[in-house]
Amino acid sequence: MNFLAPAFLAGLVAIAVPVLIHLINRERKVVVEFPSLMFLQKIPYKSVRRQKIRHLLLLILRCLAFALLIAAFARPFFARRRAAIGSTGAREVVILLDRSSSMGYANRWDRARDEAKKVVAGLGSTDRATLVLFAGSAAVASEPMATPATLNAAINAAKLSAEGTRYAPALKLASQIIGASTLPRREVVLISDYQKVGWINHNEIAFPQGTTITPVDLGGGVPSDVAVAQVTTNRDSTGDRDKVNVAARLVNTGKTPATVSATLSVGGRDVQSKSATIPASGAQQVAFTSIVVPGAATKGSVRITADSLAQNDVMHFTVAPDEAVAVLIIGPSEPRENEALFLSRAFAIGDRPSFRVTEKRAAEVTPRDFDGKSLIVLDEVPPPRGESGRRLRAVVDAGAGLMLVPGGERTETWPAEWRSILPASVGSVVDRTADAGGTLSSLDYAHPIFEIFNAPRSGDFSTARFYRYRALTPAAGGVVGARFDDGSPAIVEHPVGAGKVVIWASTIDAYWTNLPLQPVFLPFVHQVGKYVGRYADSRSSFVAGEVLDISRHGELAAPFLDGRSVDSLTELVLEAPSGARERVTATGANHLVTLGEQGFYELRGRETPVGSGRPIAVNVDPAESDLSHLDPQDVVVAVTAVDGQRVPGSDFNVGTPQDQERRQKIWWYLLTAAVLLLVGETVLSNRLSRAAN
Amino acid sequence: MTTGVAPQQQQSFLDPGVLSRIGNLELLAKIVVEGFINGLHRSPHLGASTDFAEHRPYMPGDDIRRIDWKLFARSDRHYIKEYEADTNTNFNVILDVSPSMRYGADPETKRVSKLTYACYLAACLTYFSSLQRDRVGMATIDTDVVEYVPPSAKHLQLVLHTLDRIEKKARDAKSQPGKSTLLVPLRKLSETVRRRSIVVLISDLYEEPDAILDALAHIRGRGNDVMVLHLLDRHEIEFTFSESTNFIDMETGEKMPVIPEYLRKQYKEVVAEHTRALGKRIGETRADYALFDTTKPLDQALYAYLAARQRFNTAR
Repeated sequence: MNFLAPAFLAGLVAIAVPVLIHLINRERKVVVEFPSLMFLQKIPYKSVRRQKIRHLLLLILRCLAFALLIAAFARPFFARRRAAIGSTGAREVVILLDRSSSMGYANRWDRARDEAKKVVAGLGSTDRATLVLFAGSAAVASEPMATPATLNAAINAAKLSAEGTRYAPALKLASQIIGASTLPRREVVLISDYQKVGWINHNEIAFPQGTTITPVDLGGGVPSDVAVAQVTTNRDSTGDRDKVNVAARLVNTGKTPATVSATLSVGGRDVQSKSATIPASGAQQVAFTSIVVPGAATKGSVRITADSLAQNDVMHFTVAPDEAVAVLIIGPSEPRENEALFLSRAFAIGDRPSFRVTEKRAAEVTPRDFDGKSLIVLDEVPPPRGESGRRLRAVVDAGAGLMLVPGGERTETWPAEWRSILPASVGSVVDRTADAGGTLSSLDYAHPIFEIFNAPRSGDFSTARFYRYRALTPAAGGVVGARFDDGSPAIVEHPVGAGKVVIWASTIDAYWTNLPLQPVFLPFVHQVGKYVGRYADSRSSFVAGEVLDISRHGELAAPFLDGRSVDSLTELVLEAPSGARERVTATGANHLVTLGEQGFYELRGRETPVGSGRPIAVNVDPAESDLSHLDPQDVVVAVTAVDGQRVPGSDFNVGTPQDQERRQKIWWYLLTAAVLLLVGETVLSNRLSRAAN
Repeated sequence: MTTGVAPQQQQSFLDPGVLSRIGNLELLAKIVVEGFINGLHRSPHLGASTDFAEHRPYMPGDDIRRIDWKLFARSDRHYIKEYEADTNTNFNVILDVSPSMRYGADPETKRVSKLTYACYLAACLTYFSSLQRDRVGMATIDTDVVEYVPPSAKHLQLVLHTLDRIEKKARDAKSQPGKSTLLVPLRKLSETVRRRSIVVLISDLYEEPDAILDALAHIRGRGNDVMVLHLLDRHEIEFTFSESTNFIDMETGEKMPVIPEYLRKQYKEVVAEHTRALGKRIGETRADYALFDTTKPLDQALYAYLAARQRFNTAR
């Protein structure tokens, strides 16, 4: 019998209470001063003892009632074991075969497959086996009712992955297979190099009781390996042409120093080779000569002399020209002096990203001016009408950003279709000149525009004064990024189509505010430009097993969209290093792709010739270079089920202890018995008391 | 001397609970004695006294034989020598003030402790004796003699004051461990009693009869007329407790778990045997013994005393 709340059993000590009451007859609770005990001491005490014996039945009743009450509170239940588990009969065998990158070390992969085949050879005629291949994720590689022959075929067909090691998905999948099995014997064979970095103890993974977990350890020993752990590509814009400084970090996990040759290749051509000696259990940085940024995305690699683990001897990357954010600033036909100066100068500074600014008068704007623009700023001008207005709306819907600076403009005269997409309704001018101007008192640091200002000494908005601004009332869905000290919103934005529209309450020059004169103006403008212009840093490489979200990396798909939004459903092709092709879209159901292979993927349009697409570099997980070994017993102990633990999907599952206790309800019977005993005790004690009197 | 039954309407004024409201012991004694026993007994003035009391200036008409000529020789003034009135005897109250005597007080039920009852009793008897022109004195005893007031015709106020202080002391006192005995204090007191006296011992007598008699023998041996007033609370006699409790001896501090319902019968038998033995053994020594329940009115004690006093006078 088990107890759900065994701590209550400590209450059995309470049984001593009636015992003590009977022993001392409660005389210790009340003390009476009496002139002299002379006469009492003359009375033989045996008469009292005789009375105690008469109440032995009461004592037993009380003790029993207490014991039953305590047992009821302890919530007892009878634990039921899985009856089908036995030492004989058919087996359910799950072979977990590690195919992570580290298994490529020396001959581990061949040995692993041999071990798997041995397990298959040991299967009986009634046994059932499942082959699960795992690295970063796990998948069943065999058919549901696989024969030894098909299992061996699946083992032979298994290939090493470039992904890292993660044991949890494999063990979880195995526990589900085992839990669903009806066979009396269950066994899990885990064939792996037991790489330490792949093991995180997950408490929710547990195999049903009786499951045999057999570790097959192919790791251990003193592995010696040199790996390219990291390649950095830092831009150098100091010269006439943008250059990239490539540096590689080489790591030696061996116990002796290693001398390797590191070669940088760009565009398929070796650029430079360098020899490096890496100390034992140490790292070495290798810097190559700068390369000129090519006109299009170009493949690059750093390769070292091949050793026992070849997969981490190369690291790929791509070098692409920086995609500038195209900005169109539309000002009034008769602007104030230097009206657009502050904004255009702020955009002109910086190269990560760089902003390509075009200034236009409102009267000069044509529909073609909006093409290819990522950010349009309407600086105290109404939205254009006619064809230009429609074109502007189209590019905003397609993903461009629109920044509205109403200034003293009468927005009520704007076309209704534009007023309807404003993130806030624009009210009257608030004049704060009388009180030396307002300030920005409330910044939403969770907002992407202001998040970089959250850190200490990361921009001081408090010195900026706003002498006039428009009273904004946020529309439904409008997100307020900052407020003035009177609570009025300063900047409000909301999405329109695939783009964003943001409205700024004051002027963007020094006419109504001195913000453009503050140091914080430059980063603020850049943040607005990056956020509203939907700029995303391009990545030089990805890690195998990583999921590529094409909608979030518009720079990859942009060359093949012909100016269409990255949210369009234009079909693209992603070709893996192995040649496998996959149809993807920039959005929709196929915009997520798992990059499982090491090397260069190629993303291209359907009409783009092979080899002219955008290369995407994918490398093995650098963590796989850490060949530290894990004791297999740690894994076995961690996943061995404890008594009564629930196993999802198991037909034989008898439920948690709580479930069993709830079903059996033994406490109810114990409580009833205790109450009956107490009633009996009361009756009996009353009778005895009357008899004594 | 005549005795009579107290009128029923005055009975209530002798109830200890009612008397406990009277703060003044003299007034209490006066009410009890004069109100209840008035006219029962009047002691004759016998013979002339030789006990000098005081001097007072000579007044015309005074007997010149009473002029103190020796004082005239020293002071050249006439003073009259006055003497105490004659009395029959000395009256001594020996009051047990041991911790066990403090038992029985209960303000809720207006019950008084044995000590309070004993003080009332002593005050009444002293007052009554004072009316008889007896010399009155008293002693309080515990493990030894605590206080002693020698007998004198003028010591009524002193005795009453001492009794009053006993009550106050008892209210503030805390139990001191130690078994009180009669032997030591009574032996000491016997040495101070030079004249034949009436000695009234008021105690709860928590000693074996033999020990009590040994102690009384010292007093009795001097020719004194001894009267033992045995005070017990109703709980001590009836043992009316119901709860099983720890009993603590008020004198020794000793504890004892007691189940009253099981012991009551035996206890009452033991107490009855004890009092019976005391009555018999003390009677054999020609002393008087009377058991008093402290819830009973004081008249019983006074009657007992009057009976003893009558016998005493007769014996003279």
